Amino acid sequence: MKLGKMLHDALRVLFKKPVTVQYLTKPGEMVPIPERFRGKIIYDKNACIGCLLCIRTCPSGVITATAERKVKFDVARCMFCGQCVEICPKKAITLSSEFEIVVYEKEKLIIW
Amino acid sequence: MNTLIALLLAFPLVFVISLLFDGIDRKLHARMQRRIGPPIIQPLYDFIKLFSKERIVPTTASSRIFTVSPIFAAVASIMGTSILLANLMLRENTGGDLIVVLYLLAMSSVLVMVGGSSSGNPYGAIGFSRKMSMLIAYEVPLLLSILSVSLKINSLSYYDIISVQIAAKSMLALTFPSMAVAATAFLICIPATADAVPFDVSEAKTEIVHGPLVEYGGPFLALFKLAKSASNLALTLLATTLFFYLPAVFRVYALPGLSDLLICLVFALIFWFLTITVPRTIFARLKVGQAFKFYWLVALPLSVTAVLLSVLGL
Amino acid sequence: MVDKHDEVKKIEVDYTRLRIPFGPVHPALKEPVLLRVTVRREEVLDVDVVLGHVHRGIEVLAENRNLVQTLYLVERVCGICSHSHTTCYVQALEEIGGIQPPERALYLRTLIFELERIHSHLFLLGVMAHEIGFDTLFMFTWYVREKILDLFEKVTGNRVHHAMNTLGGVRWDLNQHMVDDIRATMKDLQKSVHRIYNFFQDKTVEKRLCDVGVLSKDDAERLCVVGPTARGSGVDMDVRRDHPYAAYTYLKDYFSVAVREKGDVYARTEVRLLELFESISLIQKVLEELPNGPIRVEDNVIRLMRRIPEGEVISLVEAPRGELLYFVKTDGKEGLRRLKIRTPTIPNVLTLKPMLVGCEIADIPVVVASIDPCMACANRLIVVDATTDSKKIVDMDFLRRRRQA
Repeated sequence: MKLGKMLHDALRVLFKKPVTVQYLTKPGEMVPIPERFRGKIIYDKNACIGCLLCIRTCPSGVITATAERKVKFDVARCMFCGQCVEICPKKAITLSSEFEIVVYEKEKLIIW
Repeated sequence: MNTLIALLLAFPLVFVISLLFDGIDRKLHARMQRRIGPPIIQPLYDFIKLFSKERIVPTTASSRIFTVSPIFAAVASIMGTSILLANLMLRENTGGDLIVVLYLLAMSSVLVMVGGSSSGNPYGAIGFSRKMSMLIAYEVPLLLSILSVSLKINSLSYYDIISVQIAAKSMLALTFPSMAVAATAFLICIPATADAVPFDVSEAKTEIVHGPLVEYGGPFLALFKLAKSASNLALTLLATTLFFYLPAVFRVYALPGLSDLLICLVFALIFWFLTITVPRTIFARLKVGQAFKFYWLVALPLSVTAVLLSVLGL
Repeated sequence: MVDKHDEVKKIEVDYTRLRIPFGPVHPALKEPVLLRVTVRREEVLDVDVVLGHVHRGIEVLAENRNLVQTLYLVERVCGICSHSHTTCYVQALEEIGGIQPPERALYLRTLIFELERIHSHLFLLGVMAHEIGFDTLFMFTWYVREKILDLFEKVTGNRVHHAMNTLGGVRWDLNQHMVDDIRATMKDLQKSVHRIYNFFQDKTVEKRLCDVGVLSKDDAERLCVVGPTARGSGVDMDVRRDHPYAAYTYLKDYFSVAVREKGDVYARTEVRLLELFESISLIQKVLEELPNGPIRVEDNVIRLMRRIPEGEVISLVEAPRGELLYFVKTDGKEGLRRLKIRTPTIPNVLTLKPMLVGCEIADIPVVVASIDPCMACANRLIVVDATTDSKKIVDMDFLRRRRQA
C-alpha cells in the first residue's frame, strides 16, 4: 500500500529508548571521543628549538614568537587544523581531546 | 443554578485538560521520531511564559481587530468545550445544544483567520485565503455528519444522543450503518480542523511562516494556542461521545458520574492520538488544491451518504 | 493643441499582484538568499534572485597567504563539500609543481570523497523532507547521517572540515579497525538507504514532488547546469567519468552515472538516491583494492611548497552538487597570484526562474531545495558598470590581467 509507509516504523520506535545523548543534562553521559580527535593544543616548551616553522604554516595567525626564541599560542584564534603538529621537527606540539574550552577571560586561552 | 456552577467548574477544567492532552500529543510525536520530547506540562509553561512577553501590535495592522480576535477565539473555544463537559457532568441537557457548540468552534477558527489577515503582513493574507479554502472544504462534511446523527435521534440536544446510547446499552456507530459512515466522515474532518499535517496548509511553517499567526506574539499567541487546544479537545470529545459512548457498554459502578467522565476523556485522548498525532507523524503536507479535492471527493460523499441512510431509517 | 494629459499613457495597476520577499531569513532556507517572488493568489509569476548575503572575500584573502595556508582557507568555503574544494586545489598545485602523490593517497582521497558525497546527499534528502512537512523522515535521514559523521571523526578527527588533503598526499592512514568499521557501516547504510527510498515513494510525498519545478533538457543545456540538477533533466555529464581524477582513473568501470529524463523535483531526488547506492558500492570497491605504500610524498610540506614554480592551471572535480572548477595562478614564491573558484551552485541558481514561473507558492521551498543550493559556495563577485549598466563575463584574459605586478 502506497499510503502511510512510515506507519510501521513510527509505531515500532514508540516505546524504544530515544537516540538522544543527554550530554550536560545527565551527568556522565557523553559520546565516546575517538583518539584522532583534534582538540586543544598542548605545547612542550622544553622540546621546542625555536625554528619558527610552525608560524610559517599556521593559517589563522595563532602562533607568535616570544623574546626567548620560543612560541606562544592564542587558542581563541585556532581552528584545530593540526598543521603545526605535522611540521614541528621535534614533535613539541600535540592536540589533546579537550573541547570544552570556554572561558570568561580571553587571557586564559594563551598558552606559552 | 446547577448549570452555572457546572459551567464555572468546567472552565478551568478545560484549560488544564486541553493543555495536558496537547503536551501528551507532543511527547508521543517526539517519541515516534526517536527524540525525547518536551515534558508533558510544556504547553502550560509556554502559556505562562508567553504572558510575560511584550504586547506588540504592528503599525500596518488594524489594531482593534488584531487585539480582540485572540480573546474572542479563546473564550469561544473554551465555552464550547465547557458546554460539553457540563452536560457530561450533570448528565442532562444544559447550557446549549449541538448547534451552539458547533457555532462556537467554527467561530474560533474564523477568528484565527480574521486576525491573521488584519495583521497587514502578506504572509497573513496568504494564510487567510488558504484557511478560507480549507473551511469551505471541511465544515460541510462535519456539519452534515452531525446532522445525520440528529436526524436519526430526532433531537439536536447533546445529552439526548448520549441517553439513547445508554438506554440501548450499545454504541451508535456499531449498531447502525449510517452512523458508522457518519463517524468515518467526522473522523476524517478532524485533522483539518486541528491544523495537523497533512492538512495544515494554512499554517505551513516552511512555506508561509505560520500563516495567520505570523505577527502574533506574547499573550495573543498564548490565547490562540489555547483556543486551538480547546477546540481539539471539543472535537475529539464529540467524536467519542456521539458515536462511541463507551460507558453505555462498559460501566464502572463505583462513582458512576465521575468514572463515566474519566472514561470519555481517556477515549478522547486515544482518538486525539489516532486522528491528530499519527497523521502528523507519517504524512507529508498537501497543497491547498490537493487537500480541497480530497475533502470534496472523499469526505463529502461519505457525509451525504450518511444523511441519506439515516433518512431512510438505516 | 494637444492636451498634455492625453499624451500621458494611463498606467494600469494590477492590484492582484503581490510581491513577497522569500528570504534572506526564512524557515525554509538553510542559507540566506533573497528571492523576490511576484505572485497572484497562489501562482508564481516572476522570480528575482539576489545573492551576496554570505560574501566573505575568500579569493582576495588567498592572495595574502602562502600555499599551505590557503589550503585551509579554501576548505572553509563550504562545510559540506569541504573535501572537494581541497582536492581540487591540491590537484591544481600538484599539477603545476609536477608532484605525483602515491597511489594509496589517491585511493584514500577517493574514499573520503565518496563518504562526503553520501553525507551531502543524506543532508539534502532530510532537508527536502522537512520542506514538505514530513518531519519524521527528516529525523530518520539525519540519524543515518550521524553514522557517517562518526566515521569521519574516527578517520580524520573532525566531523566536517576534515583537512585530510595535503600537498603530495593525505595526512592520515587507515588501520584495520577503521576498515572494519567502514565496512560494517556500509552494510547498515545499504539497508537504511533502501528504506529511505521506500519512504520517498509514499503517496503524499509523491503528490508534492512529482511534476513540480520542471526543467527541460534545452533549458538545462542553455543555462550550463551541472551536477544532479542536470542529470535529472537528461543531460548526461559527470566529471568522474569524463575527466577522471584521483583514483577514478582506475575505478572507471565500477560505477554508473544515474540519469533521469523527466526533469521535475522527483527526478532530481531520485538521481541523488541512486548516487547514494553507487557511492556505497564504490567505497566497498576502494576498500578492496586499496594498495599498500606511503600516503604522502614528503613529510615536510614547506620543502614541497618551495618546489612549486610560477604557472596557471584549471582543475575540475565532481563535488556532490556538480562540477567544481578552480583557476589557480601561482607566483613561484610560495604565494598565489590569483585564485578563482566557480562552484556548481552558481549556474544552478539561475534555473530558479524557468522552474518557478507557473508553480504555486507551496512549491517554492521544494524547488529551491531540489537544486541543492549551497549559498556559502555561491557568493562570488560580478563586475557591474553602474554608468552603463553593463555586465562583463569573466574570461581567461580578464583572469590573467589581474595583479600582474
